[in-house]
Amino acid sequence: MGMRKVAVVGAGMTKFVRRALETGKELAFEAAKMALDSCELTLQQVDCVVHGTAPDAFDGVHMKGEYLADGSGAWRKPYTRCYVGGGTGVFAPIHGWYHVASGLFDICLVVCEEKMSSCQPHPQGAFLTIFDHTTERPLGPNLLWIFALEMNRYMHTYGLSKRDIALVSVKNKRNAADHPCSLLGDREITVEDVLNSEVLAWPVQRLDVSPVTDGAVAVVLAAEHVARRITDKPVWIEGVGWNLDTTYWTNRDLCYPRYVENAARMAYEMAGISEPRKQIHIAEPYDPFDYKELHHLEGLLLFDRGKAPEATALGITQRDGDLPVCPSGGLLGVGNPIAAAGLMKVAELFWQLRGEAGARQVPGQPRRGVAQAWGDLMQVGTVIVMGV
Amino acid sequence: MAILEKVDKLHQAIAWQGDIPITNRYTAGVAGERFLREIKDHARILGTRCPDCDLVYVPAALFCERCFAQLDEWLEVSSQGRVFTFTVLFRDLEDRPLDPPAVLAYVKLNGSNGGLVHYLGEVEPDQVFIGLEVEAVFKEASEREGSILDIRYFRPLKR
Ligand SMILES: [Zn+2]
Repeated sequence: MGMRKVAVVGAGMTKFVRRALETGKELAFEAAKMALDSCELTLQQVDCVVHGTAPDAFDGVHMKGEYLADGSGAWRKPYTRCYVGGGTGVFAPIHGWYHVASGLFDICLVVCEEKMSSCQPHPQGAFLTIFDHTTERPLGPNLLWIFALEMNRYMHTYGLSKRDIALVSVKNKRNAADHPCSLLGDREITVEDVLNSEVLAWPVQRLDVSPVTDGAVAVVLAAEHVARRITDKPVWIEGVGWNLDTTYWTNRDLCYPRYVENAARMAYEMAGISEPRKQIHIAEPYDPFDYKELHHLEGLLLFDRGKAPEATALGITQRDGDLPVCPSGGLLGVGNPIAAAGLMKVAELFWQLRGEAGARQVPGQPRRGVAQAWGDLMQVGTVIVMGV
Repeated sequence: MAILEKVDKLHQAIAWQGDIPITNRYTAGVAGERFLREIKDHARILGTRCPDCDLVYVPAALFCERCFAQLDEWLEVSSQGRVFTFTVLFRDLEDRPLDPPAVLAYVKLNGSNGGLVHYLGEVEPDQVFIGLEVEAVFKEASEREGSILDIRYFRPLKR
């Protein structure tokens, strides 16, 4: 297609915390500076900056992309904010990728930030108006409704129990105990803890859900000829994909994320992947809720429909399993500063594929991984395949 | 929220009102906290300096946006400066007349490369000009609460 090869050459992230003293700008700066330092680049060497951040309402700053520009290193540089809701964190590096793949820029800094603690009484409030103001808002909906309805449909379709799904939350929170930036890592958590946690909107319980979080993550992208000068361990972006389903969630097949499949097929084709189950060694699917990890693994064609829970129960998705899933600890464990959480998954693949993930390192020298995020009106899938 | 109850008069569109019920709680940040605390405790305006770019940021910033250095050289800048530009406001946010009109200025503070946007006081609008020397008027210590409004306004420097 006449596109240049693009590599991730550096990454950085702040601690994910419940409430940061730092402003959003300061969080963005910390992650961006860390990413540049990790590959020994200065801000002057950066050709363009891409920012990803979710709804303005979270930080309480309208046009937050502009507000965060200085903290993201965008002073007098070509700069854009991209936005596909919760899918933003994986879309932002895709946005950066086509800046570089196109030949327009050699080095692109990608920064994602979220400061959800600002939003009172709860960031859920920001979602009250995503619903149709004529047919849905009069009912007083909130975001948990969608998840509860979708999770119930998923369980019903495949005959799954709450226990089958709670295993995901346990795995990810335990994995996160090895992440130095994690908010909710817990080595001791059990399935019973999840099943006994407060019911929010049945079947969704508190420990099925990722926490409100503040944080920022950044990665540095470089064109091939530059990447090879910067590092001897570039991690290539081999494929990208994104796809959107119908706006009306009542028109959607809630038990299967077709849009994730479409995004994955786009990315796999670009990456030359014909058998994802053999060719993908690590997966970082979006896991704001435990059932979503399962949903997304099936959409990513890594398991048959309805079979991801069984694989989870068999330990296949453990860090030392045949297909490690969310070895980072995911959103359920590390935390969920929306856009930053998505980019954290890309950073995790970068560290894992370079063998730099420390206590989280999956064994067996993985050579290729997939990261995915999801969001907008619960109908966007964004996918990146990375390899060494 | 039905359609029919909305049609009171023929000229009214079929519509209803709703809002986005969000409030936000902001932190001043690492640099902002120190900047505001100094105003509250000592009625002093702090900046941070980037040695590489030779710039003094006011309000104080944690980092230099130009070179991305983390800034740890804090210094007091003058609470005096010059009007860099200004405007005279005749209407408030609710579109009510402001009487007397208010003067809003961007004041470049001496010893810094930045400054503050704030009100001017103790001056008639027609006496304000670009380049006018002004100084900050702080509230009494007991009234200060760590807000940019701890500065009441800037007024022309008395000679
Ligand atoms: Zn500087």
